[in-house]
Amino acid sequence: MVQRIREWIEIRTGISELVRSQLIGYMVPRNINIFYSLGIVAFVAYIIQAITGIFLLIYYAPHEDHAFKSIQLIMNTVPYGWLFRLMHVVGSNLMVAVVFLHMLSVFFLQAYKKPRELTWVIGALMSLITLTFCLSGYLLPWSQLSYWATTIVTTMPTAFPVIGDFFTKLLRGGEQVSGVTLNRFFAVHVAFLPPLMLILFGIHIFLVCRIGFSSPPFGKVIEERKEWKEFRPESYPDGHPFYPYFFSKEAFMIFLYFLAMFFIISFAPALFLPADANTPADPLNTPEHVRPEWYFLAPYQMFKLIPNKFLGIILQITLVILFILWPFFDRLKENNILKRPRLLVLFLGVLSLWAVLTIWGSY
Amino acid sequence: MGGSYYMGFLLMRYLISMIIFFSLISISEGGWKDVFKKEFLTAPWGKGPKIERDVCIECHTSEMIKSQYREIPSEWRKSWHYEYRVACHDCHGGDPRDAEKSMSPERGFVGIPKHKNVPEFCGKCHIGILENYLESDHGKALKTIGKGPNCVTCHGSHNIQKASIAIINEGLCTRCHSYERAKSIKATLLLTEKKIKEIYDSLKTLRSRLIYTEDDDKILFRTHVEFRALFHTVDVNLVKDRTDEFSKRLSAIEVRVQKYFQELEFRQNFTGIIMFIFIGLCITVFLLGRKSE
Amino acid sequence: MKRRRFLKLLTSILGVSALSAFTYPILRFLTPLKAKGKGESIIIAKREIPIEGAKDLVIGGVPAVLINRKDKGYIILSKVCTHLGCLVKYDKEKLLLICPCHAGSFDLEGNVVSGPPPKSLEKFQFRIEGDNVRIG
Repeated sequence: MVQRIREWIEIRTGISELVRSQLIGYMVPRNINIFYSLGIVAFVAYIIQAITGIFLLIYYAPHEDHAFKSIQLIMNTVPYGWLFRLMHVVGSNLMVAVVFLHMLSVFFLQAYKKPRELTWVIGALMSLITLTFCLSGYLLPWSQLSYWATTIVTTMPTAFPVIGDFFTKLLRGGEQVSGVTLNRFFAVHVAFLPPLMLILFGIHIFLVCRIGFSSPPFGKVIEERKEWKEFRPESYPDGHPFYPYFFSKEAFMIFLYFLAMFFIISFAPALFLPADANTPADPLNTPEHVRPEWYFLAPYQMFKLIPNKFLGIILQITLVILFILWPFFDRLKENNILKRPRLLVLFLGVLSLWAVLTIWGSY
Repeated sequence: MGGSYYMGFLLMRYLISMIIFFSLISISEGGWKDVFKKEFLTAPWGKGPKIERDVCIECHTSEMIKSQYREIPSEWRKSWHYEYRVACHDCHGGDPRDAEKSMSPERGFVGIPKHKNVPEFCGKCHIGILENYLESDHGKALKTIGKGPNCVTCHGSHNIQKASIAIINEGLCTRCHSYERAKSIKATLLLTEKKIKEIYDSLKTLRSRLIYTEDDDKILFRTHVEFRALFHTVDVNLVKDRTDEFSKRLSAIEVRVQKYFQELEFRQNFTGIIMFIFIGLCITVFLLGRKSE
Repeated sequence: MKRRRFLKLLTSILGVSALSAFTYPILRFLTPLKAKGKGESIIIAKREIPIEGAKDLVIGGVPAVLINRKDKGYIILSKVCTHLGCLVKYDKEKLLLICPCHAGSFDLEGNVVSGPPPKSLEKFQFRIEGDNVRIG
């Protein structure tokens, strides 16, 4: 019976040919390592967010009077509502972590070099959208934490002369963070960002598949590489087949991701939900120690340190643009970072600066 | 190669000119500084907006005033009232924004209430407690012969702390009468107070483990307050008679708290099992992958 | 090759159990919630409550009060103060609901008039059926 169904489908779709050419026939470099699977882990992380997000949407009420109550309902009353909420909350943090790791490894492996500049730019934009997802989703529970963290973040644009005030009002939908803001952020979170993300994701994946995996610049191999004068997919005639060789590595990493998620949910469910996240928003009462989520701590601390706020925000915007367009600034052909001490120092320097600012910001 | 080099050069130049351009604006544009002050210096970045200064405090910390009154603001800053943003005028009336009229009777200013009038002074807010107090022997004594303990006698005035059973102690009670009756009331209260504290702690634990306990918090607070109010009648028999009723109400909360703890245990077991499934998957997939190498 | 087959079998068993560990919660998640206090309806005769009179009720475990307001008709409000949860009392002279704990006061629409409460009292739905007021 199963055989017949298989045949029926096979005749109409020719899937086995696709599997042969795209999965088994698709060769990955011989010395490929585990870091190349972080992209697919990030993808799975998004899928988990999307699915759990849809489930939360069933009971969530996007209104200032009902939002917190509906979260209470999900956590206390709805059967397994807590599971989906915690998966969404823990997942959002892990997703950011995976995206960061993905970017770091791509940088370290110099995989953004010609002809993959576009892939990097699209990826960088996606990471910014990820952070926007986090920012907008953060307000939705309408807790003390989400209310005041959003107040701080939406204050930042006022550092801009002339248009800053207007922009902040635009974000908040008024003078203060209010129910109007909640509705705006909700719309952004569930309706505006997902299709945008999907489009960028489509382009990203298209580019990755079209150009092919880059090969690690380290180790024994690396034949003399030809200059890219015209388009050609990267080929590894002596490489490993994608399926099952690299596929099993990817599966391992995905399961590891789930493992980390459920480890946190089981043993530290409140890791990302401190006490202020469990009290309803009170616009008249600022809690002590308001600070943004861990992934925003470094930019937040930097912003606090620079006395001229306008300069601070300009600097940050400059850095973001530099980050997005990085492949166009780094134009040397050498793709082994270990042979480029200055770039290596820059990389490690930025990394440790980020770490220092994060730790500093959390006090 | 040359093309991309040129492009990088252009981008760098563009960025630098952007920085210079906006910095110039930031210097020339004056108005935004006020916005900055408003949003960054006064906006609450950390601490809650507790009342730090008003006309009352201004005057009462200055040299103009008698030294015995100068202590009041710092006393008050240590109090439970300060913690919850209850300011001078909330009890004493008057206008904390208008120095001229701040102590004018037209604005409802009440200075130091007479010993006999203290219960009504506090009872403006603590309505329920006032009622019970007036029924008590303490209250009756104060109202009839003008002598007897009022709120301040036990709770103090400006540095008022969260009430606790420790207030009933030999030192305080024996200032007026023997400690025996007070001791027997305290003994009766003790068990119930202990139970109330335990439930508060359990609810706090539940909250920290992401169970929302708002409804039970309110029921417990209500029960606790009614129990405290009962004590203010200083009637041993009444307290004894109604202790049963209170422990029943508390037990009802305890049952729900226990249920929540069981639910939490179930949750942990459930996600723990899922975690182990993924550990298993990691291992098998790892082994399978190694084999195919 | 025997070991390999065993590993594959184990992987699929674990995969299926992981999948079912998610399917069951999803099904439970989507089953309709039991309505609170369903089927218990409270009926009160109108004549029990004179104009500006009030009657205490318990609706689904929540203490509430039914007030017959002059000119404005009936209203049912929760008695649980939104500040810390003490039970408010109906004051017939002042036409206010006053909390005995910290003197929070609410008008007969449930809105905060003074004191520390952060929001209005909860309202309950009811229907008027002839000579009766019916809740639920």
